[in-house]
Amino acid sequence: MSKPLEVLLLDDEPIVGRRLKPALDKIGCRVEVFEDPREAVARIDQKEFDIVVTDIRMEGMDGLQVFAHVQKKWPRTKVIMITGYAKIDLAREAMGKGVFDFIAKPFRPDDLRQIIANAAEELGSPIYNSSMSKEPVEA
Amino acid sequence: MPIIIISADVREIEESIAQKVADEMGYNLMNRRILADIAAKHQIDPGRLNEIMGTTPSLFKKMSARQWRRNLACVEAEVLDHLLAGNIVCQGLAAHLYVTGISHVMNVRILSGNSRCIKDIVEKKGLSLQKAEKCRAAELQHRKKWSLAAYVCDETDLSRYDLVINLDQIDPVEAVKTITGAAEYRKFQVMTYSMKCLADLALAAKVNAKLLDSMPSIKVQARDGSVVVITKALNRQKRKKIATIKELASTVDGVSYVEVHVKNNILAS
Repeated sequence: MSKPLEVLLLDDEPIVGRRLKPALDKIGCRVEVFEDPREAVARIDQKEFDIVVTDIRMEGMDGLQVFAHVQKKWPRTKVIMITGYAKIDLAREAMGKGVFDFIAKPFRPDDLRQIIANAAEELGSPIYNSSMSKEPVEA
Repeated sequence: MPIIIISADVREIEESIAQKVADEMGYNLMNRRILADIAAKHQIDPGRLNEIMGTTPSLFKKMSARQWRRNLACVEAEVLDHLLAGNIVCQGLAAHLYVTGISHVMNVRILSGNSRCIKDIVEKKGLSLQKAEKCRAAELQHRKKWSLAAYVCDETDLSRYDLVINLDQIDPVEAVKTITGAAEYRKFQVMTYSMKCLADLALAAKVNAKLLDSMPSIKVQARDGSVVVITKALNRQKRKKIATIKELASTVDGVSYVEVHVKNNILAS
């Protein structure tokens, strides 16, 4: 069996981590969940994750700052932005800076699983995404 | 890959640049040739469909505002549906006025340059310089009026566009290079969010076209298959109208839920 995909999931809404972690576990990801961006950044300093999934609007540090930190420390890591405040300007800014993908809340866990699968493919560690769910993750 | 929408103040320039950009990028070019298919699909006279892209409703042309709006809605729905495939350069279908808020759609405006246009008019129509200037001003005013009537937006407002190129300063070859270069920017690449926005816009347009078949004055929004329709009706007709809208909208592919908000039509009561 191939090495599990290391994923860091950061959202200041605890429900997001609670709902998404099991959904990502199912496709063979090893997920660490954080609600505080500073704690997440401290963990990123210690460990290279394959994928970082981060909210954009958070207290203390926003998702774009987290992305800049990841990019500087681990350029290979794919960063996926999730937000309840999606707008064309923000989406273009994030993509322009180099995030892997951008998704608006609410979304289905399967939407994120598909993005994770695409990122894994690009990282050269493809995963099989067979589980489907229609359950939305609220903002 | 991104979608490039090209519009210009002179049709020939728009067509020529769009064709060159599509060739350069290996994209499909979507232009007014698609109108014949749309006309056949929606049982509209093809000549009439061509005509509405540049004229406003008029009693003299036997085109009511309702017919005009419905025909435009059919064009919009079909164009958006085609755009979902991506890798498209779109021109001549007024898409710059209704394909908005999609991050992987690059809206390009070409300014043909006043002096060049007036010179062309003088040469082609044999008019004096003064008359050619008047002719050009009238044409620009007409286009502005059409865009406002059709989509409540002013196509001459340059802040609407992602890229504006003035052919008085940049020659057409350089313009094509500039457009294809800008289309490579990461910010114009497809992302999950932008694809969903485009799919929502396409679904709303399909429902709008369907409903305009049988009722005027509606507004449609869509998200992930859920559709919200806003309309007006007399109090006593509200229930019937809601039922009709729900029935019609549900027949559109991709619609999973319909919500109808009816405002009281004070003018009709």
